[in-house]
Amino acid sequence: MNHKISFRPSRALFAAVALMLFTASSVQAELLIRVTEGADSAIPVSVVPFAENGSMPAGDKVSSIVQADLAMSGEFRPLAPEKMLSLPSARADVYFRDWRLLGQRYVLVGELTRNGDRVQARYELFDVNREERILGETAAAPASNMRSLAHHISDKVYEAITGVQGAFSTKLAYVTLEITNGKRRYRLQVSDIDGKRASVRLESKEPILSPAWSPDGTKLAYVSFETDKPVIFVHELSSGKRIKLADFPGLNSAPAWSPDGQSLLMTLSKDGNAEIYQMNVQSRKVTKLTNHWAIDTEAAWDSSGEGIFFTSDRSGGPQIYYMSKPGAEPRRITFGSRYNARPRPDSQGNYVYYVHQRERAFNIARTKLDNGEETVLTRTESDESPSVSPNGRMLIYATKSNGESVLTVISADGGAAYSLPASEGDVRDPAWGPIVR
Amino acid sequence: MTGQEREFTSTGVPAWKSPIALSVVLHLLIAGIAAAGWSWSSSVQEPPPSSISARLITQQKPEPSPIVEPVDQPDREQEQKELEKQKQAKAQERKKEEARKAEEQEKREEAKRKADEQARKREQAKIEEREAQKTREAEAARQKAEAEVKERERRKAEADAQKQRQQEAKRKAEEEKQRQEEQRKREEAARKKKEEQARQEAEKKRLEAERRLQEQQLQAQAEKADKARADEALRKKQAAAARARESQMLSESQKYQALIRERLSQAWYPPSSATEDMTARLQITLLPTGELAGVKLVASSGNTAFDNSALSAVKSLSRYPVPSERDTFETYFRQFTIEFNPRRLR
Repeated sequence: MNHKISFRPSRALFAAVALMLFTASSVQAELLIRVTEGADSAIPVSVVPFAENGSMPAGDKVSSIVQADLAMSGEFRPLAPEKMLSLPSARADVYFRDWRLLGQRYVLVGELTRNGDRVQARYELFDVNREERILGETAAAPASNMRSLAHHISDKVYEAITGVQGAFSTKLAYVTLEITNGKRRYRLQVSDIDGKRASVRLESKEPILSPAWSPDGTKLAYVSFETDKPVIFVHELSSGKRIKLADFPGLNSAPAWSPDGQSLLMTLSKDGNAEIYQMNVQSRKVTKLTNHWAIDTEAAWDSSGEGIFFTSDRSGGPQIYYMSKPGAEPRRITFGSRYNARPRPDSQGNYVYYVHQRERAFNIARTKLDNGEETVLTRTESDESPSVSPNGRMLIYATKSNGESVLTVISADGGAAYSLPASEGDVRDPAWGPIVR
Repeated sequence: MTGQEREFTSTGVPAWKSPIALSVVLHLLIAGIAAAGWSWSSSVQEPPPSSISARLITQQKPEPSPIVEPVDQPDREQEQKELEKQKQAKAQERKKEEARKAEEQEKREEAKRKADEQARKREQAKIEEREAQKTREAEAARQKAEAEVKERERRKAEADAQKQRQQEAKRKAEEEKQRQEEQRKREEAARKKKEEQARQEAEKKRLEAERRLQEQQLQAQAEKADKARADEALRKKQAAAARARESQMLSESQKYQALIRERLSQAWYPPSSATEDMTARLQITLLPTGELAGVKLVASSGNTAFDNSALSAVKSLSRYPVPSERDTFETYFRQFTIEFNPRRLR
């Protein structure tokens, strides 16, 4: 806890002199206290268990899911329900003094009402100190989809407090590897961001790599070795329909959708050397974007959809480069160490995240794009495959835990970490899906 | 002032053209002319020696003729004496005769000689007369010539003298001119020197004045500084006194400011949408008990979540730490402003 204190003694002195002369403080001589540091800890918030009218589906409670979501963001510190002095479900029952005594800043109360096969939620968020309601809404969902309802409420609460759109309703894609009796099972899975409701979309004995979400969240592109060579597929999630998008001789890898969903960036070695190409999804026409004797790969569009980040070892080791438009002269972004790879820019245009080698350890780092300031975000040792949430506030990456690969979510500034439950073997190559309206 | 000295000596005139050198040359020239004139006039002016003609005359005077005298013969023995006497008488007679004849002869000769002599003398006189005449004439001619020469010489001398006088006058005029020129130059130099001196004097005076002004200014500054120091000292003393009176209040105030800042820092949760350029300013009114009497957002950050976070932080403190001393509270904490600005975001 480091609370830096700054104030202006000259102003205070002036105030003293003013008092001496007029024996009254004037507005100009008024004391000014500057607060330049906030609390280092997360915001205390209480998600009161929702009242329930009618029978609710089995499983996690909506309020529990909301509470977990807020905690997972790293920005909130929910109060455990057993510590609450009361469990109000409406404003009339909220005693702000109690919540203030508990050091709480926000209180979320609500009730769920069963309406046939649907459940309606009515919820209110209060600012304890200001004693004001800052959010009040009703929302409904099928009884079978309580998690979506909960994530929706999480998003609303998050946005009301932070001013930033929530990303709790988004999806994750990742690949798991299960080895049983020497048999390898690669599975492409899609889940909620808390790892729940995971579903296998593709299973293969051969590796599946680099899943990439289409901007509308309906399709995944990935690399599959099912034909004994890397081939890029596009997979429609609702129907399970797959198309073989790129099957050129040599390497077909690292697909990345354009923001308009009309084309993909990919790495092809059909002309001999690994270069970055852009392929139109409809026409399958490819355009070569890089042309260098070094390996150019792992391309990703920037937030504007105009520039491209990619990895190149043209300087001797892998480093992050940026082309302001396809085919423009690449500008090197990373200099901090001799290994920086797999760039993933955020959607806000503020940072680019990447794998950064420091001594023997591989970490996730980010560079602020306007000033080039680099920050290493993780402290584990074998971190890889960063993927940033669409609101730019959270980051998921793969790391090793007890010899197995697991996924970890952290706040994008390197705060609290939240490990996703990985029930089955290794988990790798996470891809954070878009916010879908 | 080395620059001026250098300027002063290097007038651009070669050394041989300098006034001193010029005057030396002129003096030498005049001395030379004078010497030449002297030698020339002395050879001309020497008068011819008047003794020359007289010497010539004495040298040509004839020498007097020599005088011849007769020699006597003694008688022989007695017999012979008679005879001798006779003989002697006869001889004497004859002798007498002879003597007489000789005498006559001599007398004649003498006369003739005398006449000759006289003739010669006359001739001589004539010659001499002629000679004398001639000499006189010559003398006259000579004298005339001499006179003419003398006249010529005199005239020439006069002319020379005139010329010399003219030359002298000219020389003197030149000398005068030169002298005047030199005088003028000297005066000019003196004037210039005077001017230079005046200028230098003026410069010196100016510098002196400047120096004095500067000194005065410095003095004034020093005095001002002294006064300022004195004032400052007085002010400080007064301020110290004031501070002594206020120090308690101030230190109390600072202590409570720090406490409030600390409490607010702990209570403030900048939202994740906050940026470092966001600032929210709130005016706080407290009760003497430390309770919040009112809060007003006087300057919004432009971000509602940010403003709310600040308001929430301010309102989260149930009781503000405030000094118990009433004066200090009234001075500082009855009403004050809090500025929320994240210098360093997580």
